[in-house]
Amino acid sequence: MIYILEDAINGVLMGSIYGLTALGLTLIFGVLKVINFAHGSLLMVGMYAAYWAIILTGVHPYVALIIVAPVMYLFGYYLQDIVIKPIFKAEKDVREPITVIIVTTGVWYILDNLTLLIFGPTYRSIQDNPLKGKMLEIGEMFISVPKLWGFVTAVITAAAVYWFLQKTRMGRAIRATSLDREAASLMGINQFKVYNVAFGIGTATAGIAAVTLVPFYNIFPSVGVLFDIKGFIIVVLGGLGSIGGAILGGIIIGLIESIAPQFMTATWTEAIVYGLFLVVLFVKPSGLFGVKYDW
Amino acid sequence: MTRQNINRFALILVGVVVFGLPLVLRSPTYLHILILLYFYAYLTSSWNLVGGFAGVLPLGHSAFIGIGAYASTILSLQYGISPWIGMIVGGILAAIVGILVGFPTFKMRGAYFALATIAFGEGIRVMVENVDNLGPLKINGPRGLQIPPTNIGFVNYMFNGKEPYYYIILVMLFGIIAITYFISRSKLGYYLNAGGEEPEAAMALGVNVARAKLIAMAMSSFFTALAGTFYAQFTLYIHPKSVISLDFSFEIAFIALIGGRGSIAGPVLGALLLRPVSDFSRIYFGSTLPGLHLIIFGTVLILVMIFQPRGLQEPLTRAYNRLLDKIFGGTGQKEITHEYS
Repeated sequence: MIYILEDAINGVLMGSIYGLTALGLTLIFGVLKVINFAHGSLLMVGMYAAYWAIILTGVHPYVALIIVAPVMYLFGYYLQDIVIKPIFKAEKDVREPITVIIVTTGVWYILDNLTLLIFGPTYRSIQDNPLKGKMLEIGEMFISVPKLWGFVTAVITAAAVYWFLQKTRMGRAIRATSLDREAASLMGINQFKVYNVAFGIGTATAGIAAVTLVPFYNIFPSVGVLFDIKGFIIVVLGGLGSIGGAILGGIIIGLIESIAPQFMTATWTEAIVYGLFLVVLFVKPSGLFGVKYDW
Repeated sequence: MTRQNINRFALILVGVVVFGLPLVLRSPTYLHILILLYFYAYLTSSWNLVGGFAGVLPLGHSAFIGIGAYASTILSLQYGISPWIGMIVGGILAAIVGILVGFPTFKMRGAYFALATIAFGEGIRVMVENVDNLGPLKINGPRGLQIPPTNIGFVNYMFNGKEPYYYIILVMLFGIIAITYFISRSKLGYYLNAGGEEPEAAMALGVNVARAKLIAMAMSSFFTALAGTFYAQFTLYIHPKSVISLDFSFEIAFIALIGGRGSIAGPVLGALLLRPVSDFSRIYFGSTLPGLHLIIFGTVLILVMIFQPRGLQEPLTRAYNRLLDKIFGGTGQKEITHEYS
């Protein structure tokens, strides 16, 4: 029994990190109405950035946030500006641009393989970081310390993004654009600036998620793919566009992943996750907290 | 000479060349490359029936390849049934799965549909990977199934040289192109076109868009599965990661998109242009610059989507027509071109 509780807690912690990785995805979808297939790759880029930042300066992993978050923000901002904006301009009247999805898939392939080319397929990890392998003992349970840090970071980041969207001017502009882009631009909001910022923030959160993962997760060129697919599942579960939904969706997946292996093989767990995903898609595509779009 | 006659002549010329090629080109390596080229052209053309004509973005098609491959292999290994029959069985099975998948997913809009097909594809892969025996059927999970190269002969779909495989896939390719051509000119083709562009308007006119899409999906999955059997018989080893992979599905979709989905020539053109890139970059750069061909794919995809969203077939077809105009002069008859978005 105590083992299930331990699994559950670790699952919630890991799940919150999953939610953090999906946070950017849900934001980008909510605003741009685009499912960014390259999000996993952005996470991977963030992990490499964090890795090099930590290795070269030898600081505590979380200090790397100072470097990684702004760098990722700019990376996302300009990725949107240079690569994705032209397609938006070409598909102006389409409410839900499919071509952009295809383009993000291209970005995914390019990023993953460019990284493979430049850094090689070797698995990297930060061996002697202060968080690695540390466990917190509560009674008879062992709670993973890096995941605990990740949980706290996830909650703070989610709250920060939520606050940003609710209370700041740009945040309100973002919310307006996500509701009705034409009306928003009629109100004087520069649509494409909003997209750039939203993409930037989304990528920055991926960077933050990367920093939380780097202390205990291996880093290699295709690490993003797992998180990419999980991210879609989480975001659909929680509701595309909902921040709380992303964290909650992540926690659900984390719980399934940690508890289910007690009763079945790990690979069947994967099947359950896909099955759950399909059920949600068919029954309530807007997810737990999502806004019901009129399609 | 009318443009139609010119085009027919060109087609016959191409046909003569490709069918006669193995008599001239003896190297098995080059035949192998060509076989894979036709294989991909066939797959992208089958994909095109849904991805192009029905206007959606299915990203899980490799599941059907897997169904075809496993169906014919299990039937031939365990029950001694000729792979040709197994091929048809696999095709029908795939069509059924395709309809079951299409039923709930066609209601969804673009991005959700894409995600759902990914989930289906991966879900099927995971299930096949986890199952060793499905009742009496031996599936072998991740270890896959190996086909021993005994029993040479047509009935057993097993040959010694590359030439027979070359001709089989070539005939299949011509077949799927012909089918695509006839569908594009049929009522189904118009229904799909209308349903893809303006579904509400089409339905208001009495077109059963949902049914048309399901028929297209069934056909696409059926033909894709046939290629699965070909793959199994050609490579003699199938396992989940090779036949039911996300990369495979994406590659097919990419090539069709770059070539131009919705058109007849597009998918074939895409394969013609991209497969050699893939093969050569793998042969010459495989060890020094791994993954180069995927970077090229991705870049080409993005550039094509920005500048020529209908695919490379559009400027190429225009150039071809202009070339013919120069050579043969403008014809009195205007050729009817069917271009789909």
